[in-house]
Amino acid sequence: MEEKKVIIDNVSKEFLIGYNRNLSATERFVSLFSGREPKKVIDVLKGVSLDIYSGEVMGIIGDNGSGKSTLLRIIAGIYKPDSGSVTANGKIISLINLYIGLKDRLEMRDNIYLCCSLFGLTRREINERFDSIVTFSELSKFINTKIYQFSEGMKQRFVFSIAMHCNPEILLLDEIFEVGDENFREKSVKKIQEIVQIGGCVVLVSHDMEMVNKYCNRVGLISAGHLVGIGKPNEIIGKNLKNFKPDVI
Amino acid sequence: MINLWENLDNMSIVKKHWQETRYTFNLSLSLAKADFKLKNEGSYLGIIWYLLNPILTFTLLFLVFNDRLGQNISNYPLYLLFGIIMFNFFQNCTYESVRIIRESRWIIKSINFPIESLILGIILKNLFSHLFELIVAVAVILFLDANAAGIIFYFIILLFFMVFVFGASLILSSLTVYFNDIENVWSFGVRLLWLGTPIFYAIEGQTNLFYANLLNPMYYFITIARDIIIYSRTPDAWLLLAGIFYSLLVMSLGLFLFRKLKTKLAEKI
Repeated sequence: MEEKKVIIDNVSKEFLIGYNRNLSATERFVSLFSGREPKKVIDVLKGVSLDIYSGEVMGIIGDNGSGKSTLLRIIAGIYKPDSGSVTANGKIISLINLYIGLKDRLEMRDNIYLCCSLFGLTRREINERFDSIVTFSELSKFINTKIYQFSEGMKQRFVFSIAMHCNPEILLLDEIFEVGDENFREKSVKKIQEIVQIGGCVVLVSHDMEMVNKYCNRVGLISAGHLVGIGKPNEIIGKNLKNFKPDVI
Repeated sequence: MINLWENLDNMSIVKKHWQETRYTFNLSLSLAKADFKLKNEGSYLGIIWYLLNPILTFTLLFLVFNDRLGQNISNYPLYLLFGIIMFNFFQNCTYESVRIIRESRWIIKSINFPIESLILGIILKNLFSHLFELIVAVAVILFLDANAAGIIFYFIILLFFMVFVFGASLILSSLTVYFNDIENVWSFGVRLLWLGTPIFYAIEGQTNLFYANLLNPMYYFITIARDIIIYSRTPDAWLLLAGIFYSLLVMSLGLFLFRKLKTKLAEKI
């Protein structure tokens, strides 16, 4: 029996968001001075339950604003669910929009130390992995270059390399799977597969159905905060025809 | 047997806490180093900038007040200098803390990490520059032929002072998420505190101000430091106890408030 790496049990989450409505004159007056906007409660996730097993690449698909990224942040522990619970058995590394706190005006060397500390590595562990991070990212020549001088592709390779070297057991990816050029893509996919093979798991949130179909073992479809379908990629992607690119298959 | 399991359970809790503390401290140190480097990045004067602000403030206040306010204060240059550098540490840490959560919002929204490290990083970074300022202060002590031995005891005061500043910074940083205007309020608050704390004047003979300062933790730390370093005397026990009391109180309050509010931080920014 495969180990459950992530157990999501009946998770709900609501947010207060600002919205326009016809305000009364008094409300307008008060909001002018207090700066407070009218707020409305929206249910972002409603009773979502899902188990993710070791050795699995789980895809999460759905429309914009359906709650995919919120679910990813709840798994990562960034947001707390209003009700329900999430149990994660293993070290989580989240790559959400490739943002891992790079400091543009610092050299690549300093950024390695900073970002790896952010992912919980000790200085000794960073020293041990330093060369491997640089080699994997294929940026050996730029070790003393400041990040603002990097191209977007170089930054992506760098971030990806750092994340892969921080012992991920549960890898959360938001719109990221294949980065860099053809050669680097192959390498990064291989690295992710290695994590999966040694008992880790990957949760991939994406709009790119081709990518989801190609790499995921199972796919969950989220619609308006509800998990409306879960199963093999080809079954679920079919349900989500609105976003599906027919030319992919 | 049950005891053994309980012990093992306790051990794993202790181990987990130890790992979390180590993670927080390592990250704080990395953030402090990175910010320290960033502050000097592309600057011709480098760390001299750190010293320039307190030195210029000191020179200006000394020239303006030495003849009047400084007349009845023995060793007025050192009295003024220690007031300035200690207040400077407090001011820099709290100013940066009220901005840090909003400035770091993308990282808070992308990675689950101990957010307290952002604040502790600020304290450690400012500690580096505070140590540089202390070197200047020692140079001034030696230049004035005063006794510099008391500076050794300053490090004990600094420990409690840092605890207090960390607590105050935690409170301010967590409130900034819920009150947009805390930055404006705090800049006014700091100015008020700067004028209310006996930094460039003596409090003796000003009864109302003295009573008000009993509620001002900065008063205790600055007075204790001056007593030990400049006047080579043991501070009154009530001053020491009040200093320790305020540092522990503010720190506990800061940790309590920050931990209570931080679960919602990522959503509110």
